[in-house]
Amino acid sequence: MLVNAYSKKVFNMAYQFSGSRQEAEDLAQEIFLKLYGSLGKYDFGRNFTAWLLTLAKNHLIDEYRRSRWERTKRDDFDDRAIAQAAFDGPERSLAREEDRKAVWKALDGLSPEIRATVILRDIQDLTYEDIAENLGLPLGTVKSRVNRGRLQLARILRPGKGEDQ
Amino acid sequence: MSGSHAEEMLSAYLEGELDGARKAEVETHLAHCPECASLLEAMRDTRDALGALPELEPSPDLLRRLYAIPDRKRRFQPIRDFLLRPSLQPVFAGTTGLLVFLSFLAFSPGGRSLQKSLNRQVHAGYGRIERLYVKAGSIPEEIGARKESILGSLRSVDILRKDRE
Repeated sequence: MLVNAYSKKVFNMAYQFSGSRQEAEDLAQEIFLKLYGSLGKYDFGRNFTAWLLTLAKNHLIDEYRRSRWERTKRDDFDDRAIAQAAFDGPERSLAREEDRKAVWKALDGLSPEIRATVILRDIQDLTYEDIAENLGLPLGTVKSRVNRGRLQLARILRPGKGEDQ
Repeated sequence: MSGSHAEEMLSAYLEGELDGARKAEVETHLAHCPECASLLEAMRDTRDALGALPELEPSPDLLRRLYAIPDRKRRFQPIRDFLLRPSLQPVFAGTTGLLVFLSFLAFSPGGRSLQKSLNRQVHAGYGRIERLYVKAGSIPEEIGARKESILGSLRSVDILRKDRE
C-alpha cells in the first residue's frame, strides 16, 4: 500500500523543508491527496518511486514559492528521532547530535531562497542541474546560492565548535 | 588569490569540481590562510551534519489521515467520473455560454439597455396580441348587431332566394 511504502519518505521531505512537524503533516497529507488524484496520469514505463518523489518535491517547491515558510520558524529537531538515529550505525565524528541540532536550527538563519537550495542539495541530495530545473533558476545562481548558504551555516556553527574542542 | 575569491570556490573545491589549475590555486591559498581553512572545515562538517539528519517516524494521527484518503476519493470518484465524461463537454460549454450571456444581460451597463429594449419588445408584442384577442372577441357581437342589415343586403341581391329554390 502506498501509505505504508512512502509516508515516511514524503513526511521527512516535508519536515526538512518546513522545519515544523505540524506543517509537515499537513503538507504530507496534501501530497498524498495530489498523488491519489494523479495516479491516472502515471506512465507505467516510469519508475514509480521516482515519479512519486518528483511529485512530492514539486509540491513542496510550489509551496516554498508561495513564501509560506517565510512566516514560520523551524521547530527544534525532534529528539526522539535523534535518539533513534544512534541505532542506525556508527556516527561520523563531525556529525554528532549537537551538530545536527545546531545545523537544523541554523537553517533558520538563511533566507528562504538560499535555504531551499541548501536543503535540496545537501539534505535531499539533488544534483545542481535538477535543482536549477525545479526552481527555474540558472545553474550558476543555484551553485552560488548553495555556496553562500554553506558559508553562512559554517560561520554560524564555527564558534560553537571552537568551544567544544 | 584573495580570501573572498577563495570563498567563492570553496563549495566547488569541497565537491571536487575544480580543474587542476584552480584546485592547486585554492590549495595554495588554504595553506597560507587559516581563516579560509577553518571555514572549509566548518563547511565540510555542516554538509556532513545536513546529510546525516535522521528520518522521523510519521505520527499515528498522520497515518490515519493518509489511510483515509483513498476512501474519501472512492466516495466521490463516480460523481467525478460522470462529470468528466467527454460527452458532457458540449453541455457544459453551452451552459457556460448561456450563463455568460445572462450575466452580461443582468450586470453590464450595455446589457441593461439591451435588457430594457428586450423588455419593451416583449411587452409591445404582448400588447399587440392582447388587442388582437379583444378584437377577435368583439366579432360575434358586431355580426349580431349588423345581422339585419347584412340579411337585407343579401335579400336585395336575391342570393338567398335562389338558394332556397
